[in-house]
Amino acid sequence: MVSDILRVRVSELAARFNGEVEENLGELELTVDGRYILEALTDAKNFADVPCDFLHDLCGMDLGDYLEVVYQLSSLRGPQRLRIIARVERDNPAINSVTQIWKGSDFLEREAFDMFGLQFRGHPNLKRIYMWDDFEGYPMRKDYVIESHEQRAVMRVRKEGE
Amino acid sequence: MMIEGTQEYSLNMGPQHPSTHGVFRMVVHLDGEVVTKVEPKIGYLHRGLEKMAESRTYTQFIPYTDRLDYLAGPHNSLGYVQAVEKLMDTEVPERAEYLRIIFAELGRIASHLVMIASGSLDISGWTPWSYCFRDRERILDLFEMTAGNRMTPNYFRIGGVSQDVPEEFMPALKSFLEDMPEMIEEYYGIFFGNEIAQSRMKSVGILPKELAENLLITGANLRASGVQYDVRKAEPYGIYDRFDFQIPVLYGCDTYDRHFIRLLEIQESKKIIEQAYKDIPAGPVMTKVPKVLKPPVGKVYHRVENPKGEMGWYIVSNGSTKPARVRIRTGAFVNVQMLPEIVKGWKMQDLVTIFASMDLVLGEVDK
Repeated sequence: MVSDILRVRVSELAARFNGEVEENLGELELTVDGRYILEALTDAKNFADVPCDFLHDLCGMDLGDYLEVVYQLSSLRGPQRLRIIARVERDNPAINSVTQIWKGSDFLEREAFDMFGLQFRGHPNLKRIYMWDDFEGYPMRKDYVIESHEQRAVMRVRKEGE
Repeated sequence: MMIEGTQEYSLNMGPQHPSTHGVFRMVVHLDGEVVTKVEPKIGYLHRGLEKMAESRTYTQFIPYTDRLDYLAGPHNSLGYVQAVEKLMDTEVPERAEYLRIIFAELGRIASHLVMIASGSLDISGWTPWSYCFRDRERILDLFEMTAGNRMTPNYFRIGGVSQDVPEEFMPALKSFLEDMPEMIEEYYGIFFGNEIAQSRMKSVGILPKELAENLLITGANLRASGVQYDVRKAEPYGIYDRFDFQIPVLYGCDTYDRHFIRLLEIQESKKIIEQAYKDIPAGPVMTKVPKVLKPPVGKVYHRVENPKGEMGWYIVSNGSTKPARVRIRTGAFVNVQMLPEIVKGWKMQDLVTIFASMDLVLGEVDK
């Protein structure tokens, strides 16, 4: 259940960054523009009384016209939960990295980069994590075309100098 | 030609290496025998489960969830089916809820037994390994007699469980529970109380509390670093709020405590199963759900306490028969990041012990 005090804090935050607040199935959700994500997450981490200081999950999401980065916040010291969604453009999916707030978001951001092509500014080591380095395309995007079995079965040709 | 001083060199370990518990690969930088840096390289078992989920119906995806953490299959499916049920607002029959808890906790015991077994094997202790696997086999037999599969039972359904347990299940479970205190004493005596094990593991690979929280470590590894947090208590899912159990917490932050906390958790799981065994009501095990599942438009984030760490299911429905997005947050994937932080300065053989204490399973790391 969402506590009233968290609801107040989130609506204050939404007013600052021109965001939208939604609530369904007992979860509070705040949607902001990708530009403000670092400030929004820092604020949420330092909420008085109900700090959402544990980044439980970070993932990408493809909505056709734009991409989303979804941050699931929780806390080790209370029942509060909050979902912050940052919208980014599809053509230029750049967003600030949160590795300076949570060191552990390193792998989560690398995965989102690998699967959705999200460019995290300020990430120490933004490389593909699951797919191999010269893999082309971003497989979790909705417009990614899965090749036929015959094409996939062809062995990779070694590049010159490898 | 003379080389002055020592030279740092890098060594590839894995993906085919017995100490990496699967297909984990790391590049180890060494100064003599001392580890200076470790770069984890993962993705050798990547099957693209999140992508697969988008082209399958909600029901068709259940068998895949077992293959995430294949050592504790039931708990993965539990998170998934409960997330979908939350989305559809489905009630689960009482008996099914209890059976789910029994299976999930048996899975946790099986997973922790493998962890203790392989941890001891990594420091050349063969006997504890055979003891743990002997007892794990009884749990797998229980899975097999009910669902047909040993490690990936595929037992849970959206709205209940696939079938009731057979007649011989409950007596077998009872005798297993009766034998458990003796088993736990055995593990303690041969492994945790062993002098060699203690000298190899105590105060090795320290993960301080602040670092663990900053690295977003979850599960038993976090609890071995002095944070008493468990989703089963903090945000009870299913019927976990009906049972009386404790969250074990240790403050040593070292490899020994990360092993030992698993033994304590086995005891707590035993308590839960005993209560569930006592209270389980008779009745149906499956509620009426439509043949074609179409959850309403919406999103849900459901967390469960997997044996390897917290698992989060973020499911977005667009009202059709297939999910728009299934995001799986796995504990082991995030927990990998503690390895480069805590092995610095330890020797090569300590790296193996520290790696074992993290309790990774590559099905969950690579998804």
